[in-house]
Amino acid sequence: MSLSVPVAVVLLFMLGSALAAAVLRDVVGSIVAFAGYSFGVAVLWALLRAPDVALTEAAVGAGITTVLFLLTIARTSVSRSERFEGISLRSGLAVVAIVVTVGATVPALPPVGASGTPVLAGDVSQYYLTNAYDQTGVTNVVTAVLVGYRGFDTLGEVAVVFAAGVAMLLVLRREAFV
Amino acid sequence: MSDSEPAPDPAVDDGVDGEGTLSRPASDRPPYVESTIIMTTVRVIAPFVLTLGAFVMLHGASSAGGGFQGGVIAATTVVMLGFAFGIEPIAAHLRNEHLALLVLSGVGTFLIVGFGGYFVGGNFLQVSGYETLFKDGSKYSIELVEVGIGVVVSGVITGLFFLLGTGVDVGADDSDSEADR
Repeated sequence: MSLSVPVAVVLLFMLGSALAAAVLRDVVGSIVAFAGYSFGVAVLWALLRAPDVALTEAAVGAGITTVLFLLTIARTSVSRSERFEGISLRSGLAVVAIVVTVGATVPALPPVGASGTPVLAGDVSQYYLTNAYDQTGVTNVVTAVLVGYRGFDTLGEVAVVFAAGVAMLLVLRREAFV
Repeated sequence: MSDSEPAPDPAVDDGVDGEGTLSRPASDRPPYVESTIIMTTVRVIAPFVLTLGAFVMLHGASSAGGGFQGGVIAATTVVMLGFAFGIEPIAAHLRNEHLALLVLSGVGTFLIVGFGGYFVGGNFLQVSGYETLFKDGSKYSIELVEVGIGVVVSGVITGLFFLLGTGVDVGADDSDSEADR
Protein backbone atom coordinates (compact mmCIF):
# COMPACT_ATOMS: atom_id res chain seq x y z
CA MET A 1 0.00 0.00 0.00
CA SER A 2 1.42 3.31 -1.00
CA LEU A 3 1.42 6.00 1.63
CA SER A 4 1.75 9.58 0.51
CA VAL A 5 3.87 11.89 2.66
CA PRO A 6 1.01 14.17 3.84
CA VAL A 7 -1.11 11.21 4.89
CA ALA A 8 1.84 9.68 6.75
CA VAL A 9 2.51 12.96 8.57
CA VAL A 10 -1.14 13.29 9.56
CA LEU A 11 -1.25 9.69 10.78
CA LEU A 12 1.87 10.29 12.90
CA PHE A 13 0.30 13.45 14.33
CA MET A 14 -2.90 11.53 15.14
CA LEU A 15 -0.92 8.77 16.84
CA GLY A 16 0.99 11.28 18.94
CA SER A 17 -2.06 13.28 20.00
CA ALA A 18 -4.03 10.11 20.76
CA LEU A 19 -1.21 8.91 23.03
CA ALA A 20 -1.04 12.34 24.66
CA ALA A 21 -4.80 12.31 25.25
CA ALA A 22 -4.50 8.91 26.90
CA VAL A 23 -1.49 9.48 29.17
CA LEU A 24 -1.64 13.17 30.08
CA ARG A 25 -2.62 13.63 33.71
CA ASP A 26 -3.91 17.17 33.25
CA VAL A 27 -7.48 16.84 32.04
CA VAL A 28 -7.46 20.15 30.15
CA GLY A 29 -4.27 19.08 28.35
CA SER A 30 -5.87 15.73 27.59
CA ILE A 31 -8.93 17.46 26.11
CA VAL A 32 -6.76 19.68 23.93
CA ALA A 33 -4.80 16.63 22.75
CA PHE A 34 -8.09 14.93 21.95
CA ALA A 35 -9.15 17.98 19.93
CA GLY A 36 -5.84 17.75 18.07
CA TYR A 37 -6.57 14.11 17.32
CA SER A 38 -10.01 15.03 15.94
CA PHE A 39 -8.44 17.74 13.85
CA GLY A 40 -5.97 15.20 12.47
CA VAL A 41 -8.86 12.92 11.52
CA ALA A 42 -10.55 15.86 9.77
CA VAL A 43 -7.40 16.61 7.77
CA LEU A 44 -7.11 12.91 6.92
CA TRP A 45 -10.68 12.86 5.56
CA ALA A 46 -9.91 15.93 3.49
CA LEU A 47 -6.77 14.28 2.11
CA LEU A 48 -8.77 11.15 1.30
CA ARG A 49 -11.23 13.38 -0.62
CA ALA A 50 -14.18 13.13 1.74
CA PRO A 51 -14.81 16.85 2.33
CA ASP A 52 -18.31 16.38 3.76
CA VAL A 53 -17.04 14.07 6.49
CA ALA A 54 -14.00 16.29 7.04
CA LEU A 55 -16.21 19.31 7.60
CA THR A 56 -18.37 17.39 10.07
CA GLU A 57 -15.34 16.06 11.94
CA ALA A 58 -13.75 19.51 12.15
CA ALA A 59 -16.94 21.23 13.30
CA VAL A 60 -18.32 18.59 15.65
CA GLY A 61 -15.32 16.51 16.73
CA ALA A 62 -12.61 19.11 16.98
CA GLY A 63 -14.80 22.14 17.64
CA ILE A 64 -17.96 21.81 19.62
CA THR A 65 -17.10 18.59 21.49
CA THR A 66 -13.96 20.24 22.84
CA VAL A 67 -15.95 23.24 24.01
CA LEU A 68 -18.50 21.05 25.78
CA PHE A 69 -15.72 18.99 27.39
CA LEU A 70 -13.96 22.15 28.60
CA LEU A 71 -17.21 23.56 30.00
CA THR A 72 -17.83 20.32 31.85
CA ILE A 73 -14.30 20.04 33.19
CA ALA A 74 -14.47 23.63 34.45
CA ARG A 75 -17.16 22.34 36.82
CA THR A 76 -14.78 19.89 38.47
CA SER A 77 -11.60 20.47 40.38
CA VAL A 78 -8.59 18.44 39.37
CA SER A 79 -5.22 18.21 41.03
CA ARG A 80 -2.22 18.39 38.76
CA SER A 81 0.38 16.70 40.91
CA GLU A 82 1.94 14.54 38.21
CA ARG A 83 2.47 15.11 34.55
CA PHE A 84 1.62 11.69 33.17
CA GLU A 85 -0.84 8.99 34.01
CA GLY A 86 0.71 5.88 35.52
CA ILE A 87 0.10 2.90 33.25
CA SER A 88 -0.60 -0.33 35.07
CA LEU A 89 0.26 -3.74 33.66
CA ARG A 90 -3.41 -4.68 33.37
CA SER A 91 -4.41 -1.66 31.31
CA GLY A 92 -1.32 -2.14 29.15
CA LEU A 93 -2.35 -5.74 28.50
CA ALA A 94 -5.90 -4.63 27.69
CA VAL A 95 -4.59 -2.09 25.17
CA VAL A 96 -2.36 -4.71 23.55
CA ALA A 97 -5.29 -7.16 23.36
CA ILE A 98 -7.56 -4.57 21.73
CA VAL A 99 -4.87 -3.50 19.27
CA VAL A 100 -4.16 -7.13 18.27
CA THR A 101 -7.88 -7.92 17.90
CA VAL A 102 -8.70 -4.86 15.83
CA GLY A 103 -5.41 -5.10 13.93
CA ALA A 104 -6.26 -8.66 12.91
CA THR A 105 -9.13 -7.29 10.80
CA VAL A 106 -6.94 -4.87 8.88
CA PRO A 107 -5.58 -7.40 6.32
CA ALA A 108 -9.19 -8.18 5.39
CA LEU A 109 -9.74 -4.61 4.25
CA PRO A 110 -9.13 -3.65 0.62
CA PRO A 111 -6.30 -1.19 -0.07
CA VAL A 112 -7.24 2.49 -0.02
CA GLY A 113 -8.57 3.50 -3.42
CA ALA A 114 -8.59 -0.02 -4.91
CA SER A 115 -10.89 -0.18 -7.93
CA GLY A 116 -12.57 -3.47 -7.04
CA THR A 117 -14.03 -2.41 -3.68
CA PRO A 118 -17.80 -2.61 -3.24
CA VAL A 119 -17.92 1.14 -2.68
CA LEU A 120 -16.65 1.80 -6.18
CA ALA A 121 -17.83 -1.25 -8.08
CA GLY A 122 -21.10 -2.01 -6.29
CA ASP A 123 -24.41 -1.55 -8.08
CA VAL A 124 -25.88 0.71 -5.41
CA SER A 125 -23.16 3.36 -5.41
CA GLN A 126 -22.96 3.30 -9.20
CA TYR A 127 -26.73 3.83 -9.32
CA TYR A 128 -26.43 6.86 -7.04
CA LEU A 129 -23.51 8.31 -8.98
CA THR A 130 -25.31 7.88 -12.30
CA ASN A 131 -28.81 8.99 -11.37
CA ALA A 132 -28.48 11.39 -8.42
CA TYR A 133 -28.39 14.57 -10.48
CA ASP A 134 -31.19 13.58 -12.85
CA GLN A 135 -33.50 12.41 -10.10
CA THR A 136 -32.90 15.05 -7.43
CA GLY A 137 -31.31 18.01 -9.21
CA VAL A 138 -28.62 18.16 -6.52
CA THR A 139 -24.97 18.19 -7.63
CA ASN A 140 -23.52 17.00 -4.32
CA VAL A 141 -24.19 13.26 -4.32
CA VAL A 142 -23.68 13.06 -0.55
CA THR A 143 -26.55 15.48 0.04
CA ALA A 144 -28.68 13.72 -2.58
CA VAL A 145 -28.21 10.40 -0.77
CA LEU A 146 -28.63 11.92 2.72
CA VAL A 147 -31.93 13.67 2.06
CA GLY A 148 -33.17 12.42 -1.29
CA TYR A 149 -32.60 8.67 -1.11
CA ARG A 150 -32.05 8.06 2.61
CA GLY A 151 -34.23 10.80 4.05
CA PHE A 152 -35.72 8.52 6.66
CA ASP A 153 -32.26 7.80 8.11
CA THR A 154 -31.57 11.51 8.28
CA LEU A 155 -34.89 12.09 10.03
CA GLY A 156 -33.66 9.56 12.59
CA GLU A 157 -30.42 11.51 13.02
CA VAL A 158 -32.37 14.72 13.57
CA ALA A 159 -34.47 12.89 16.14
CA VAL A 160 -31.25 11.84 17.89
CA VAL A 161 -30.02 15.44 18.03
CA PHE A 162 -33.41 16.55 19.32
CA ALA A 163 -33.35 13.77 21.91
CA ALA A 164 -29.88 14.87 23.04
CA GLY A 165 -31.25 18.31 23.91
CA VAL A 166 -34.24 16.86 25.74
CA ALA A 167 -32.07 14.31 27.55
CA MET A 168 -29.73 17.03 28.77
CA LEU A 169 -32.70 18.96 30.18
CA LEU A 170 -33.89 15.80 31.93
CA VAL A 171 -30.48 14.91 33.36
CA LEU A 172 -29.94 18.41 34.73
CA ARG A 173 -33.57 18.55 35.92
CA ARG A 174 -34.22 21.85 34.22
CA GLU A 175 -37.15 22.97 32.14
CA ALA A 176 -35.45 25.69 30.12
CA PHE A 177 -32.26 25.88 28.06
CA VAL A 178 -31.29 29.34 29.27
CA MET B 1 -9.79 29.59 26.78
CA SER B 2 -9.46 27.46 29.86
CA ASP B 3 -5.74 27.06 29.30
CA SER B 4 -5.26 30.47 30.81
CA GLU B 5 -7.26 29.72 33.91
CA PRO B 6 -5.40 30.15 37.17
CA ALA B 7 -4.18 27.02 38.88
CA PRO B 8 -6.88 25.70 41.19
CA ASP B 9 -6.69 26.76 44.76
CA PRO B 10 -4.99 24.02 46.82
CA ALA B 11 -7.67 24.48 49.45
CA VAL B 12 -10.23 23.20 46.96
CA ASP B 13 -8.69 19.75 46.88
CA ASP B 14 -10.17 17.53 49.47
CA GLY B 15 -6.82 16.23 50.56
CA VAL B 16 -6.77 13.05 48.48
CA ASP B 17 -3.78 13.28 46.18
CA GLY B 18 -4.58 12.72 42.54
CA GLU B 19 -8.32 12.71 43.10
CA GLY B 20 -10.52 15.54 41.97
CA THR B 21 -13.86 16.40 43.46
CA LEU B 22 -16.89 15.65 41.36
CA SER B 23 -18.30 19.13 41.35
CA ARG B 24 -16.94 22.44 42.34
CA PRO B 25 -19.11 25.17 43.85
CA ALA B 26 -19.53 28.28 41.74
CA SER B 27 -17.46 30.40 44.11
CA ASP B 28 -14.35 28.28 43.51
CA ARG B 29 -14.57 28.23 39.75
CA PRO B 30 -12.17 30.34 37.72
CA PRO B 31 -13.97 33.65 37.22
CA TYR B 32 -14.81 35.10 33.85
CA VAL B 33 -11.90 37.31 32.80
CA GLU B 34 -12.71 40.22 30.55
CA SER B 35 -10.22 40.51 27.70
CA THR B 36 -10.31 43.37 25.22
CA ILE B 37 -8.43 41.37 22.63
CA ILE B 38 -10.83 38.42 22.72
CA MET B 39 -13.90 40.68 22.79
CA THR B 40 -12.71 42.74 19.83
CA THR B 41 -11.72 39.67 17.82
CA VAL B 42 -15.02 37.95 18.46
CA ARG B 43 -16.94 41.12 17.65
CA VAL B 44 -15.16 41.28 14.27
CA ILE B 45 -15.27 37.64 13.21
CA ALA B 46 -18.68 36.62 14.61
CA PRO B 47 -20.66 37.91 11.58
CA PHE B 48 -18.31 36.11 9.22
CA VAL B 49 -18.63 32.84 11.12
CA LEU B 50 -22.41 33.13 11.07
CA THR B 51 -22.26 33.82 7.33
CA LEU B 52 -20.04 30.78 6.81
CA GLY B 53 -22.51 28.67 8.76
CA ALA B 54 -25.41 29.91 6.64
CA PHE B 55 -23.39 29.32 3.48
CA VAL B 56 -22.45 25.76 4.42
CA MET B 57 -26.08 25.10 5.38
CA LEU B 58 -27.61 26.54 2.21
CA HIS B 59 -24.91 25.44 -0.22
CA GLY B 60 -24.82 21.82 0.91
CA ALA B 61 -26.65 20.74 -2.24
CA SER B 62 -23.93 22.04 -4.54
CA SER B 63 -20.73 21.66 -2.51
CA ALA B 64 -19.40 19.99 0.59
CA GLY B 65 -21.48 20.74 3.64
CA GLY B 66 -25.06 20.52 4.72
CA GLY B 67 -27.37 21.08 7.61
CA PHE B 68 -25.36 19.31 10.30
CA GLN B 69 -22.08 21.08 9.56
CA GLY B 70 -23.68 24.47 8.91
CA GLY B 71 -25.76 24.25 12.06
CA VAL B 72 -22.70 23.55 14.19
CA ILE B 73 -20.75 26.43 12.61
CA ALA B 74 -23.69 28.80 13.14
CA ALA B 75 -23.96 27.72 16.78
CA THR B 76 -20.25 28.41 17.19
CA THR B 77 -21.09 32.11 16.95
CA VAL B 78 -23.01 31.93 20.20
CA VAL B 79 -20.26 29.83 21.78
CA MET B 80 -17.64 32.43 20.83
CA LEU B 81 -19.80 35.23 22.22
CA GLY B 82 -20.16 33.23 25.43
CA PHE B 83 -16.40 32.87 25.81
CA ALA B 84 -15.76 36.53 25.02
CA PHE B 85 -18.48 38.23 27.03
CA GLY B 86 -19.26 35.64 29.68
CA ILE B 87 -21.87 32.92 29.45
CA GLU B 88 -24.40 34.40 31.88
CA PRO B 89 -24.69 37.84 30.17
CA ILE B 90 -25.20 36.16 26.80
CA ALA B 91 -27.74 33.78 28.30
CA ALA B 92 -29.62 36.78 29.69
CA HIS B 93 -30.10 38.03 26.13
CA LEU B 94 -31.65 34.79 24.94
CA ARG B 95 -35.05 33.48 25.80
CA ASN B 96 -35.81 29.81 26.20
CA GLU B 97 -38.92 30.12 24.04
CA HIS B 98 -36.80 31.30 21.10
CA LEU B 99 -34.38 28.38 21.39
CA ALA B 100 -37.20 25.87 21.77
CA LEU B 101 -39.01 27.44 18.83
CA LEU B 102 -35.82 27.16 16.75
CA VAL B 103 -35.44 23.46 17.52
CA LEU B 104 -39.12 22.65 17.05
CA SER B 105 -39.41 24.59 13.80
CA GLY B 106 -36.46 22.64 12.38
CA VAL B 107 -38.01 19.29 13.26
CA GLY B 108 -41.34 20.59 11.99
CA THR B 109 -39.87 21.66 8.65
CA PHE B 110 -38.40 18.20 8.13
CA LEU B 111 -41.69 16.52 9.02
CA ILE B 112 -43.75 18.87 6.85
CA VAL B 113 -41.55 18.16 3.85
CA GLY B 114 -41.79 14.48 4.71
CA PHE B 115 -45.57 14.32 5.02
CA GLY B 116 -45.96 16.71 2.08
CA GLY B 117 -44.66 13.88 -0.05
CA TYR B 118 -48.05 12.18 0.35
CA PHE B 119 -49.92 15.20 -0.95
CA VAL B 120 -47.85 15.53 -4.12
CA GLY B 121 -48.46 11.94 -5.05
CA GLY B 122 -45.46 10.16 -3.55
CA ASN B 123 -44.44 8.46 -0.36
CA PHE B 124 -43.12 9.81 2.92
CA LEU B 125 -40.09 12.05 2.21
CA GLN B 126 -40.21 11.29 -1.53
CA VAL B 127 -38.81 14.62 -2.64
CA SER B 128 -39.10 13.83 -6.34
CA GLY B 129 -42.85 14.28 -5.94
CA TYR B 130 -42.38 18.02 -5.53
CA GLU B 131 -41.30 18.24 -9.17
CA THR B 132 -45.01 18.21 -10.03
CA LEU B 133 -45.58 21.32 -7.92
CA PHE B 134 -42.83 23.58 -9.23
CA LYS B 135 -39.64 23.43 -11.27
CA ASP B 136 -36.63 21.94 -9.45
CA GLY B 137 -39.03 20.98 -6.68
CA SER B 138 -36.94 18.11 -5.38
CA LYS B 139 -33.82 20.27 -5.21
CA TYR B 140 -35.55 23.02 -3.25
CA SER B 141 -37.26 20.60 -0.90
CA ILE B 142 -33.87 19.01 -0.20
CA GLU B 143 -32.49 22.49 0.53
CA LEU B 144 -35.42 23.14 2.85
CA VAL B 145 -34.77 19.92 4.73
CA GLU B 146 -31.08 20.87 5.06
CA VAL B 147 -32.05 24.23 6.53
CA GLY B 148 -34.38 22.45 8.94
CA ILE B 149 -31.55 20.13 10.02
CA GLY B 150 -29.25 23.13 10.48
CA VAL B 151 -31.78 24.94 12.63
CA VAL B 152 -32.29 21.90 14.86
CA VAL B 153 -28.57 21.33 15.27
CA SER B 154 -27.72 24.95 16.00
CA GLY B 155 -30.57 25.26 18.48
CA VAL B 156 -29.66 22.08 20.35
CA ILE B 157 -25.95 22.92 20.47
CA THR B 158 -26.65 26.42 21.74
CA GLY B 159 -28.92 24.89 24.35
CA LEU B 160 -26.30 22.33 25.40
CA PHE B 161 -23.71 25.10 25.67
CA PHE B 162 -25.83 27.17 28.01
CA LEU B 163 -27.01 24.15 29.98
CA LEU B 164 -23.45 22.98 30.62
CA GLY B 165 -22.20 26.53 31.12
CA THR B 166 -24.81 27.69 33.61
CA GLY B 167 -26.86 24.77 34.79
CA VAL B 168 -24.79 22.25 36.72
CA ASP B 169 -24.98 23.60 40.22
CA VAL B 170 -25.72 20.36 42.02
CA GLY B 171 -26.32 21.88 45.42
CA ALA B 172 -28.50 24.70 44.15
CA ASP B 173 -30.42 22.30 41.92
CA ASP B 174 -31.19 20.00 44.82
CA SER B 175 -32.52 22.76 47.01
CA ASP B 176 -34.58 24.07 44.09
CA SER B 177 -36.21 20.77 43.38
CA GLU B 178 -36.88 20.12 47.02
CA ALA B 179 -38.49 23.53 47.34
CA ASP B 180 -40.68 22.68 44.35
CA ARG B 181 -42.02 19.54 45.89
